[in-house]
This record gives sequence, structure tokens and C-alpha cells, in this order.
Amino acid sequence: MSSTDTWRPTAAHARAVLGGTLLAVAAVLARRPDLLVFAAPFAVVAVWAVVAKPTVAPTVRQWLGHAVVREGEATTWHIGIDDVEGRVDDVAAVLEVPIWVEQRPEEGQVAISLHDDGEGPLAVVIRPIRWGRRRIGPALVAASSAWAGFRWTSVQLGDARLLTALPQSSKFDASAPPVRTPGLVGVNRSPRQGSGTEFASIRPFQPGDRLRRIHWPQSLRTGVLHVTSTWADHDRHVVLLIDALNDVGESGGIDGRASSLDISMRAAGAIAEHFISTGDRVALVAIGARGVQRLPPATGRRHLRRLLEVMATVESAGEFFDDGRMPRGIAQGALVVMLSAMVSPRALQRAVTIADRGLTIVVIDCLPPDITEKDPNDPYVALAWRIRLLERDSEIRRARERGTPVVPWMGPRSLDVVLRDLHRHAGVRTARRQ
Amino acid sequence: MKARATGQALLLRGLVLTSPLVAIFCTSLAAGRTLPALDVAVAGLALACAALPDSHAGLVVVVLVGIGWWATVDDRLTPWSLAAALALAVFHASMAAASVAPLAAKWTPAMSRRWLRRTAVVGAATCVMWAVVALIGDHRFSGNSLLLAAALVGLAFAALWARTGSIGQRSGAH
Repeated sequence: MSSTDTWRPTAAHARAVLGGTLLAVAAVLARRPDLLVFAAPFAVVAVWAVVAKPTVAPTVRQWLGHAVVREGEATTWHIGIDDVEGRVDDVAAVLEVPIWVEQRPEEGQVAISLHDDGEGPLAVVIRPIRWGRRRIGPALVAASSAWAGFRWTSVQLGDARLLTALPQSSKFDASAPPVRTPGLVGVNRSPRQGSGTEFASIRPFQPGDRLRRIHWPQSLRTGVLHVTSTWADHDRHVVLLIDALNDVGESGGIDGRASSLDISMRAAGAIAEHFISTGDRVALVAIGARGVQRLPPATGRRHLRRLLEVMATVESAGEFFDDGRMPRGIAQGALVVMLSAMVSPRALQRAVTIADRGLTIVVIDCLPPDITEKDPNDPYVALAWRIRLLERDSEIRRARERGTPVVPWMGPRSLDVVLRDLHRHAGVRTARRQ
Repeated sequence: MKARATGQALLLRGLVLTSPLVAIFCTSLAAGRTLPALDVAVAGLALACAALPDSHAGLVVVVLVGIGWWATVDDRLTPWSLAAALALAVFHASMAAASVAPLAAKWTPAMSRRWLRRTAVVGAATCVMWAVVALIGDHRFSGNSLLLAAALVGLAFAALWARTGSIGQRSGAH
């Protein structure tokens, strides 16, 4: 949709008409035919522009190639023009984009000859370089008639589009065995025997066994009813707990430095992608984010897309009061993966609270490694960070001593050791219960 | 954000800046003298036109160049009038062309070809006008009020037609 304005004469047309008229009048009054030579080009241009003047305003359509892309991926802002009279000569457009969006041409300015070039080149390639939701457009479009005599400019208010840039997931691949959770149905083998598909053993019949499980060859051989037992299938309920209270460090987009929230989002995207690809249920809880940022557990590629879209809308609330308590929306038996820069001691406090409730939690340290680099404008900032990091190390050590694992995010296999340990501990606990 | 100018935009602005100076130079060659104050004013305004091609400063440049010619040149049939008129045509065309696209927008070859073609047509029309003036220039007509009145009325009608065609009617589909 676009609202339209009228064709208006330009300064060039005024110059042609007035310049030609004044020179011609001077030629007549001063009896100087040589001034007619001066007036001739202006008169020709003025007549040409008036004869070829468009009377109907063109219709402009603007649209975005893809509304959802990954950060770093490019899409195109298209501009289409309908000129029913065929009197539009040149069309120029300027698209201004918000921060964290690059465009090509660099200034977002394009120009074409409408009937010679077609609409194809009237497009601007845009590339979001940081995850998030950004408003793009509308582009300002100006059409000119012959000799730039008349100009029409678009006044478009409703053509802005929302571009969602999903976090570009870091590489992540966990080969560790799953942490034991009581949920059923999934691709992982449960440590318990039950209803499933994977063969466990052939054992004597017990009351409650299903008749279809009877293993007749063994039963006939031994004269005692035997049944086939299977391992129960289960899935994991993984909760991604993103600490959005602070966004520490400078973000340079996908190609530059990463802030703590950048690391958190990209890591969370990678972990979600990994667990969903293995058939697990993944939930999302963002603490300290603007608005409610919670997504109930589910599985499947569509849910992954929803997860990434919710992540893209996360913004640090800043003034959020952090009480360090257990956040809502975390069910019993879930594996909680907390992504935090742990700038505030309350983040670790929260992790310990969750662990005390009997949930399995892994804390991923998302503090940018270059945070202590010296700021030339304020040399005390690096010093302050070093002091805070010493305190933070001590807090992390205390949390580890209480059984809350804290691992730095280092891409692929970051969580392997921790998940393997958790799996082992869970096995010991299950054996004790049995 | 500071826009980076394309080569075409710089070329057009260069033409906007130099073409009035060429017209002034032709005037000085035809007259054998020059009006320094007027030349400085034209140069300053040409600079302003190069910076702001969509401004009315160009009209003042055209008028000043015309005044300079009228005030200094006595030879009505000099071929320098054609050169000066062509320079003014280039000035107008390059200024108009510079106003159709932003500074950083790249011109397509089709745009360049069309503007060159049309400028050549206008240049040809200017040559024809010079030829006509050269043909009739040798004849000295005695003062004729009827002819003068007819010429002025014709010009007034032409100006009225141009005005009506330009701003006389509102257009646009809503």
C-alpha cells in the first residue's frame, strides 16, 4: 500500500520556462537575435517537459523478500512501480535502515530508467548483522518525468516491514549420554525398562506383563512363560534459562565482537537446535527481559523456529528487579541449561536455588572473554572488571562446591563433560533409589 | 550518514560547475573584455548549483550569463554565441540530471544514454536556431511596432501555455 502525491514542477522546469522566456523577451525588446540562440535550448526543454508531463501518479509497491532470516544472511527490499501512462523516465529510491542492518548499495540509494531498465534493479539488499527484530522501510521513492521537469515523491506511511533476524547458532554437538529424566516417549533410551522399542532382555513372566510380549520360543523350550522386555523410550525436557538482566560487552554484530547476550543467544540457539534434532522437548525462559519471554516445552522444527523467534525479541529490561529466586515455568525433572554472564551474584544464587529444588542444572558462562580489555577513555574500567571477575571466580567456585556445574561456552562439545558427569551422578542416584 | 558520491554524480556536478565558466569564457572571447564582478558572481553561483542541483540558483546563473553577453558583446552573428548557448544547454541538462538521483545512486547505462541523446537533440535545435539567426541577422529590419507587439503576444501565449501545462492543473490519483 502506498499513498501518492501529485506531480510537481521542479526547479529545473522553472529554470527552463523562466530562463527561456526572459532571454526571448530580452531578445525581442533589445533587438538582439543572438539572445534567441541562448533562449533556444531552454525553450525546447520547457516545451518537451510540458508535452511529456505525466498526469497520473504512479503506484508504488514495496516488499521484503524474507521476513525472517538468520543474522548474517541477506534478503532484498523490493520496490515496484506501476506507470500506466509510460511517461515516467527516472526513478530513484532511498532506503534508510536501522542500526545492525547493512545494505547494498551502501547508502541504500538506487536509480533506474523505468522503461529501459525495468523494475529489477530497484532493489536494496539488506543484511541484519545482529539478531533481533528491526523495522525496515519504507523507502522514499522519487519519479521524474522528461528533463526532470516534474517530480512525484512517495509519501508512504504503512509500508514498513518487520525483519526478524534469528540468532545464528554457534556450532554445538553433544555426544554425551542423556541426563536421566522421568519423561517417556522419545529417542533416548531410558535407564529403566518399560514400554519401548529397544530390546533389553527375555525374562520370566510377571503379573502385569502384556500378553503380546510373551516370547513363545523361550516359553516352549523352558516350559515357563517368558516375555521380551524393552528399554523405555524417553525424551528430555530441557529448559533454556537465559539471563537477560545485563548485556555486557560491546557487540560488533555477527562479524565482530560478541556481547554477553550475543553469546547467550547464539549458544541457546545451538543447544535448542541440538536437543530438538534429537527429539527432546525444549522450553525457554528469559529472565530480566522486556515483557514476558517464556515458551512452554515442545519439540519439532516448528517449535525450534518459535524458540529462535522468541529469542530474537529478547531485550534486556535493565531496571528489572532481580531477586535471585526460582523462575516460574520450570517443571520437575527438567534439565535446566542456564546461560548467564553472571555479572550479578544473584544469577548464581538462582542456579543454586534451582539445584536445591532437585533439578539438574548446568550454567554456561557467557561473559565475553575480552571484557577486561583496556578502554582508552577510562582506564579504571578494566581495573574494575578485574576486581569483579576475582569476586565472580570465588562465587563460581562456591557454586561448584555445592554441585552446580559452571562451564564457559566454547562452542562444540562445551557441555559434553558436564552432561557425562550428570549422567553418571544420575545413574548413581537411581541405583541408590532402587 | 555521509553519502559517498558515485562517479556519475561527480561528473555531473563537475559539468554544472564548469559549463557556466565556459559560457563566460566564450563571452569574453566574443567581446574581448569581461565584467569581473559578474564573472565572480557566476562562478560562486555555479559552485552553489553544483552543491545543490535542485535549487533555483541555476536560473540566476542563466540570467547573469545572458546579461553579461548582452552588456559586452556587440557582434550578433559571432559563432561564440552558439558555443555559449551550448554551454548553457549543458549546464541546464547536467543540473537537471543531477537532481533526478541521490548522490550515491549509481546511474544505469540506459539513464546515461537517454540523457546524452536528449541533450544532443537540444544541442542540434540550438545549432538550428543559430543558423536561422545567422541567416536573418544580415538584414536590418526597421522598427516595427506591429511586429514587436506580435512577438510579445506570441511569447506571452507561449509562457501562459507553459504555465498552464506546468501548474495550471492538479494531477494525481488518490
